[in-house]
Amino acid sequence: MAEEKDQTGSSWDDLPLPDKYPEPHKENRVGLNGEAEEGASANPVEESTKDQSVKCSPNLLQMLKAAKSWRTAQGRDREEVSESETEETVAEARKTDMQIQFTDQKKDFNKRLTKTGRRSLSRSISQSSTDSYSSVCSDSSEDESSPRDKLQKNSKGLSDFCVKNIKQAEFGRREIEIAQQEMPALMVLRKRAGGEKPLAGAKVLGCTHITAQTAVLIETLSVLGAQCRWAACNIFSTQNAVAAALAEQGTSVFAWRGESEDDFWWCIDQCVGAEIWQPNMILDDGGDLTHWIYKKHPSLFKKLKGIVEESVTGIYRLYQLSKAGKLCVPAMNVNDSVTKQKFDNLYCCKESIVDGLKRTTDVMFGGKQVVVCGYGEVGKGCCAALKALGAVVYVTEVDPICALQACMDGFRVIKLSEVIRQVDLVITCTGNKNVVGREHLDRMKNGCIVCNMGHSSTEIELASLRTAELRWERVRPHVDHVIWPDGKRIVLLAEGRLLNLSCSTVPSLVLSITATTQALALIELYSAPEGRYKQDVYLLPKKMDEFVASLHLPTFDAHLTELSDEQAKYLGISKHGPFKPNYYRY
Amino acid sequence: LTNVFFCKCCAPFCSGSLQIQFANTEDKQEFSKFPTKAGRRSLSRSISQSSTDSYSSAASYTDSSDDETSPRDKAQVNTHGSSDFCVKNIKQAEFGRREIEIAEQDMSALISLRKRAQGEKPLAGAKIVGCTHITAQTAVLIETLVALGAQCRWTACNIYSTQNEVAAALAETGVPVFAWKGESEDDFWWCIDRCVNTEGWQANMILDDGGDLTHWVYKKYPSVFKKVRGIVEESVTGVHRLYQLSKAGKLCVPAMNVNDSVTKQKFDNLYCCRESILDGLKRTTDIMFGGKQVVVCGYGEVGKGCCTALKALGAIVCITEIDPICALQACMDGFRVVKLSEVIRQMDVVITCTGTVPHAVTFITSALIITVSSKHIRTSIKYASLRSPELTWERVRSQVDHIIWPDGKRVVLLAEGRLLNLSCSTVPTFVLSITATTQALALIELFNAPEGRYKQDVYLLPKKMDEYVASLHLPNFDAHLTELSDEQAKYMGLNKNGPFKPNYYR
Repeated sequence: MAEEKDQTGSSWDDLPLPDKYPEPHKENRVGLNGEAEEGASANPVEESTKDQSVKCSPNLLQMLKAAKSWRTAQGRDREEVSESETEETVAEARKTDMQIQFTDQKKDFNKRLTKTGRRSLSRSISQSSTDSYSSVCSDSSEDESSPRDKLQKNSKGLSDFCVKNIKQAEFGRREIEIAQQEMPALMVLRKRAGGEKPLAGAKVLGCTHITAQTAVLIETLSVLGAQCRWAACNIFSTQNAVAAALAEQGTSVFAWRGESEDDFWWCIDQCVGAEIWQPNMILDDGGDLTHWIYKKHPSLFKKLKGIVEESVTGIYRLYQLSKAGKLCVPAMNVNDSVTKQKFDNLYCCKESIVDGLKRTTDVMFGGKQVVVCGYGEVGKGCCAALKALGAVVYVTEVDPICALQACMDGFRVIKLSEVIRQVDLVITCTGNKNVVGREHLDRMKNGCIVCNMGHSSTEIELASLRTAELRWERVRPHVDHVIWPDGKRIVLLAEGRLLNLSCSTVPSLVLSITATTQALALIELYSAPEGRYKQDVYLLPKKMDEFVASLHLPTFDAHLTELSDEQAKYLGISKHGPFKPNYYRY
Repeated sequence: LTNVFFCKCCAPFCSGSLQIQFANTEDKQEFSKFPTKAGRRSLSRSISQSSTDSYSSAASYTDSSDDETSPRDKAQVNTHGSSDFCVKNIKQAEFGRREIEIAEQDMSALISLRKRAQGEKPLAGAKIVGCTHITAQTAVLIETLVALGAQCRWTACNIYSTQNEVAAALAETGVPVFAWKGESEDDFWWCIDRCVNTEGWQANMILDDGGDLTHWVYKKYPSVFKKVRGIVEESVTGVHRLYQLSKAGKLCVPAMNVNDSVTKQKFDNLYCCRESILDGLKRTTDIMFGGKQVVVCGYGEVGKGCCTALKALGAIVCITEIDPICALQACMDGFRVVKLSEVIRQMDVVITCTGTVPHAVTFITSALIITVSSKHIRTSIKYASLRSPELTWERVRSQVDHIIWPDGKRVVLLAEGRLLNLSCSTVPTFVLSITATTQALALIELFNAPEGRYKQDVYLLPKKMDEYVASLHLPNFDAHLTELSDEQAKYMGLNKNGPFKPNYYR
């Protein structure tokens, strides 16, 4: 044990491989396959229980005047969504029905991309993939000619790529090496699975943010045996040097910072490269690549073994396809895996709320009165962080279960209007719109800070602040003073957009979780036996989720206890997991 | 008393629905058999925590020694002239009424449910036969059901847990109750039979805790099932039995599993254990926590609760865990994840809440050993290994044993390795209130559901009901729930009144 401890400290090269975790692509079959499990486990109940949770009628008696179900009330989207009510779960990986609410994104779903401006290109809103405030920046001003017109070759003579400047490869390589240090899980994965090449023969077509962290993912996939072609999912997020380093290494990358919309689709099309190369896996972030192939190269779908989609938007598009019966390959929803969700929301926001507020306002939290709107994962994180710094925290909530949790965690549950006069800080994280309205803003005290940690930029009713009598003053980047005629000032952060994306960084551990999840989802889909996954959208199997977590444990020098045979038998679970049923609430 | 209440649903592993392995196979074997004279063990099967009133501060005023004749042989009549009940002594009704009134103070959720639904009588026509612990809290539930229009007949699910005066008070108000403290096994089944089998009254709802009543009806009066609209089952064991029935295709009515509702699970495990770990330790050992090194085995709901409470008191806490996701959560919450053998030499307190068989205790030097959550008695701590001849046992006070090694080392073992929270601390009425409210709403839901909504299967409580249980308890905290505006509800695609989260929301 002591030996293992020493090793973990040094570097990822020496990391002891967690032997207790079998090769995911081999082992989890036993654990995941419904039939196999039923026979083997001493747990006959689980299967039937799985169904129960779905069968549960959400219907209610008249006394409560309740909604018929969660979904029927989906205002703008009624006709499509109501069909899904009858859906039942199947098989080992749970399908999920969409529970995410879309606002702007919804409208442009089915349309062919039009010139709606840049917004439609920066659709990817998955938090951890958004590298918005990266400390690593490459400026693009050095060269005005479009990379499309330049013929570049890497040192091996290949020219099947398109990046800003291949000569930056060396800088990019350094960036990637730094990122490797921060993503030990992928490095462990390389080392563990590298000998076996679980992705041998896989031809992965990717469309994600191209950053150093993604590069580590891409190179991991290569080490695992896959061939990759990559494009950017966002016209602004590409790190040119990293793209160059990837191209230099032989990966066909089509991306540079500051693409035009036309460039964007050109890159994707080049990436698909229909004549010379048949992809059999897709890794997408935002659904643009999937959409392009679906519209332009439908024949490619026949060869596909699966799609891995990361962003909320992309998943929503996949569900729509699936509902329309047009999804002809299995798709994996990695956004909703437990580990990723916890890190994207709870842990990430717990740190970034304090970070973002400090960076922008240098506020001191002790004794400040703070109201947090919403007590979901994000709200729980914010409240915990603020309470730890000595703030007096109030919570507003609509869901009685979450409200009761807030009570038991020692927070006062109030309505916003009750405390709005006395609070120093208002944080919204509801995912709803107009949570803080003009009537609230009017009653705030002088110097009150308003910011948004939620899902969209609609939570604060900004339109109502854009009136003639109010004066706006930009005091520093992301900080606006809104001045009332009587001289009262309100501090608005990031113009109501997400504070955690605009004013703080995403820790690389969170990006590492995301990348590892993506890699494992690709492996799972690629190596799944014929028939395990149908033409539908699946959640990542629990076993894989646990594997992602276990790959990150060495970072914390955490030593996982292993079940003895006797204990495993007593609990009726496999020694190697999955340890919890799918519906377990962590 | 404590001999009876040894089991508890183990938190980390059963918080969804049943995933419990009855590895001792004791329960398993017993399951499909008709209860035989297997001794008292088969009677103490009910293991749901919040229904277990193990260390009640409201102990019976009158000990059962005052009267040696069995209640079965006594003819008693209440003031209304009815004799359709069987309790220890109907004259204790007045004391019992006081107990019930005290309990009502703490169960405001049920009282407000009475008020809100009284006009509608959502249970009008319901004939409920119940088998639960008979305590003041249950009495509040029963009287709530009556207020909502139901007719009730009640019996005890545990031979020791009945509060005699409460049973008398219920009988006095006209609820046929068949229960007393210290029934024999024969009495136990006789009471259940009397409860079910009566002229001119046929039950159409069953509220069960442990599955004994369901089992009896299933074996003895299968015809009753034709009229039954649903079964509400509270305990893990009972739910397990129902799933077995369902699997065998023998479940011919819908059943509702209230044990696994979100609210109840959170309170049974996280919140309840967060408080009872401190309470239990203080009561038994008077330990001071600041700076003590504590290892908590398992980071499920129970483990999370224990860690939060101990950290808040300044203890240095580390965790052992087998599930990498839970281990990662522990890391992010700032607890060291270790293997027990690495730290065992320096620990002051060892708390197990895994539900699994333990590490050999012989490693332990001088520590407190505490079991908070386990499926079965003593499995979390390798109990048998301590009963060896070279070790001396010394009982220092009730629930506290010193185990003395030959070299003089002492280990303090609490509650003989049984569940600390059940043996050495109380279950707060608030938690019981959550349970009772959940049961009442499940009954209402099943009774009012239109034909065909529920098939012959085991269901979880609908999310909406779960939310309603929570919302009924919010006034206790003076919490003001925000209401969605129409516009916001539309934007979110939600109904203003809920449900607010999908069923699988974590």
